Amino acid sequence: MRHRSLVILTSVLTTGALTLTACGSRDNNKGGDSGSKKTEVIIGVDAPLTGQNSATGLGIQGGVQVAVDDANKKNLVPGVTFKVQALDDKAIPASGQQNATQLVNNDKVLGVVGPLNSGVATQMQQVFATANLVEISPSNTAPELTQGKNWQTKKVRPFKTYFRTATTDALQGGFAADYAYNTLKKKNVFVVDDKQTYGAGLAKLFTAGFTKAGGKVVGTDHVNTGDTDFSALVTKIKNSKADLVYYGGQYDESEKLTKQLKDGGAKIPLFGGDGMFSDTYIQTAGKTSEGDLATSVGQPVDTLASAQDFIKKYKAAGLKGDYGTYGGYSYDAATAIIKAIGNVVKDGKVPSDARAKIVDEVGKTKFNGVAGPVAFDQYGDTTNKQLTVYQVTNGKWKAVKSGTFNG
Amino acid sequence: MSGVGPVEPVGPAEPVEPVEARPGHAPGPHRDAPPPDVIGSDSPRPSDRWRRLPPRVRATALTAAVTALAAAALWLLPPTPSGHKPQEPAQPWPAVTTAFRYTGVADNPGAGPTRDFHFEVSVHDGPPVTVSHINAAPGGLRTRTTPPTSFTVRAGSAHRITVRITVTDCGALPVNVNLPFLDVTLRNKHAIQHYSFIFGNRYSRDLSGLLHTACDATRALPSPRVRREVRVLTMWTRRVLANPAESDLHTSSSTGTS
Repeated sequence: MRHRSLVILTSVLTTGALTLTACGSRDNNKGGDSGSKKTEVIIGVDAPLTGQNSATGLGIQGGVQVAVDDANKKNLVPGVTFKVQALDDKAIPASGQQNATQLVNNDKVLGVVGPLNSGVATQMQQVFATANLVEISPSNTAPELTQGKNWQTKKVRPFKTYFRTATTDALQGGFAADYAYNTLKKKNVFVVDDKQTYGAGLAKLFTAGFTKAGGKVVGTDHVNTGDTDFSALVTKIKNSKADLVYYGGQYDESEKLTKQLKDGGAKIPLFGGDGMFSDTYIQTAGKTSEGDLATSVGQPVDTLASAQDFIKKYKAAGLKGDYGTYGGYSYDAATAIIKAIGNVVKDGKVPSDARAKIVDEVGKTKFNGVAGPVAFDQYGDTTNKQLTVYQVTNGKWKAVKSGTFNG
Repeated sequence: MSGVGPVEPVGPAEPVEPVEARPGHAPGPHRDAPPPDVIGSDSPRPSDRWRRLPPRVRATALTAAVTALAAAALWLLPPTPSGHKPQEPAQPWPAVTTAFRYTGVADNPGAGPTRDFHFEVSVHDGPPVTVSHINAAPGGLRTRTTPPTSFTVRAGSAHRITVRITVTDCGALPVNVNLPFLDVTLRNKHAIQHYSFIFGNRYSRDLSGLLHTACDATRALPSPRVRREVRVLTMWTRRVLANPAESDLHTSSSTGTS
């Protein structure tokens, strides 16, 4: 009898569970693809996905992918399914321009996140502006991109379609100079840059801040992107008696420079900007990177309560790249575009002037993102002006000072 | 899963002989051989078995089934239309919700190496924030805050504070200040953070004015009485312990001097 009862009970429970599972499945599809076909909208991504700078470039792509997955899962824009189209600019301005043209020519693309490099951005802005296609960079820091060439004397916004979620080198260079002079107590610096828009611009702003504070530039030099042998430069730095090297450029060169510098007997720290703030820098330079410093935009994403869910999803998805540098800002940039699209595209119907309307909507953005509040000023610059100084400590980037610019 | 595989019996394992219809005889139910559209056998029917069970057993089974179904419903059915558990709102740390705004310097030109700088501290969101320490950077300056730290600012409100800055060591100061900041310690129920608020041209100009007034005459020959102060700033953040009293980071100042 007991056996029979168990058989009956099991049957009842199984039937009930299967019924409920079916109900749950139907509920999950609510607002999904059941019934009507959704409109496909593409969020473009332009970043270096191979070669130079690709660790941070892949972090941008990953950040956008998580944002798009979230939007689709939450049905953030009813009637719309978002997709990511990521193009590799290889950190080359001409490639970026070609990618911009390709994205502009695809009617499904209603917004673009990228590029990583300021120098690449200069060749893409006009293409996007001509097509009224909104572009948000999570990482460009050259001030002139939003404030014009004469930004130090008269700010003029050159392109209304361009926005960014990262703050500018005007703050980053000054913040680094202040830290070097007042906190590290360094008085003699050797300044090196890679002759690129970002690197040369940042080095110039650091130099201005450092000398204004009373520090002395005891030497300057330039490198080319892709250089690997810095022995002549190391000799120059050693002879200058500098107590600090400031490097304007990317980690690809600085990780080799610091190794050759320390191996050559110059035991002085190398200080750089956000282009150097990558785990790859430490992995390549090894122990010789210990004590080196880098500023980066924003607060450490790992310390932000708002970013914990993003980090969890990024890791769970097995996405490549370094989410720590710009992943959070990329998520916020993509979300700003998606929210703007939600205000323009209703029930999956894309108006003929959608791109222009989306540009206007992005300008009105205001929400709390994973990396902090997201909003733009009249130049397209983020109003969230946070900076952090990191130092390599026991083989990891450790935040040693974090601050917000209040104007 | 896709594709069609061999159909397996769900009842007895014995092979089932097909029943062929004989002319004049429709293939009806057969005690020993099931009809061709039935795989296996599950006789007697469940309803018959159910009716044969004692009332007590039936009641127990029904109770268990209802309980199990309720539990399964809670587990399987999504609590929200999106199919996700409602996420707890992000817990903002104090530096994210707090803003310092420079509002100007007091007009007290005869004050020598001391000036009063005014700021507005506001919290735009989240739990109340306690400001437990304020220090003006760079080194070589002494700071006194009115009202004295610690003070607490609630969301949606702003406090006006005065930071009196006195130059104590010209030798430790830069010639000019570019992006001067206040180092502050902030605390809410989620974290304690040491943080910098950086200010632009106006504060930079006013602070530089103080430095030049205090140091231009003495910069070449710093006072031997003034000790060179070397400060090492570190940025730290720590979650608040369950019992705040256990925290070793409580830095309230009863004197108001930071």
